[in-house]
Amino acid sequence: MKKNELIIIIILLVISIGGIAAFYIFNATNQALSVRVSRQGQVLTVLPLSKDHTETFTDASGTNTLVISDGKAKITEADCPDHICVKTYPISNPGETIVCLPHKLVVEVITGES
Amino acid sequence: MNSKAYRLVILSLYVAMALILSYVESLIPLPLPIPGAKLGLPNIISLVSLLTLGWPLTLLVVVARVLLSGFLFGGGFSIVYSLAGGLLSLLVMSLLLHFFKDNISLILVSVFGAIAHNLGQVVVAAIVVQTTSLLLYFLFLMLLAIPTGIIIGIAARELMRLLNKTTIFNRLNLPQKK
Repeated sequence: MKKNELIIIIILLVISIGGIAAFYIFNATNQALSVRVSRQGQVLTVLPLSKDHTETFTDASGTNTLVISDGKAKITEADCPDHICVKTYPISNPGETIVCLPHKLVVEVITGES
Repeated sequence: MNSKAYRLVILSLYVAMALILSYVESLIPLPLPIPGAKLGLPNIISLVSLLTLGWPLTLLVVVARVLLSGFLFGGGFSIVYSLAGGLLSLLVMSLLLHFFKDNISLILVSVFGAIAHNLGQVVVAAIVVQTTSLLLYFLFLMLLAIPTGIIIGIAARELMRLLNKTTIFNRLNLPQKK
């Protein structure tokens, strides 16, 4: 590997780390946060992140159980084959998402009251 | 054995090896809470195949591997995402090897291939679930793709070095690169 290739790799690292940092900095807010649950672009519900809540979302493709506690949202149960949504880290910052691809479900943290 | 038949044998070997690597990869989930983060082991084979068989046959290797591993180890829907990632990754790596043949290391090709793979997957996922908020997710995947791409690139380079010492490519009648 040559020197300029190392530079390209460092640039790629800076883009990704810088992008992630910028994402959190620009989305940081003191406003109340909500959790928006949508399926294929259709908003199912918007819940306050500050209030503990458990809800199961069901449709023909299957179920996902969303748990909000301690200001964090997490999918605790799902009957999809890969359980990627269950393995995703709990989300609490605006812009963070949990996606269940087989059920086309998106859980995201948004700014604002529900 | 004529060179066409020989090429078919090598092609089948690549598909078999890529499939095994897909399986091995599914056994070692990365200890990270980022869904879909993978090492990209089958990309070792894609790289070796690109260098020895060229892109049209490597396209076959990638499509066969994605379809077979999707049916064997993944749910049916995962095929679409893997295919999008695999094809975009192949396109980017082929173009890089075509235009910068002698001026680019396999490691850099592998890193760009890994990032393209993630991009393809995330774009298809964003279309399927109809959301635009997967940018952060992509950035995390991109960050991860850099070290894994480097590791895979080194593995592919060493594998090429060892294979070039053998005579298995002599009958491919293809120009040898690197």
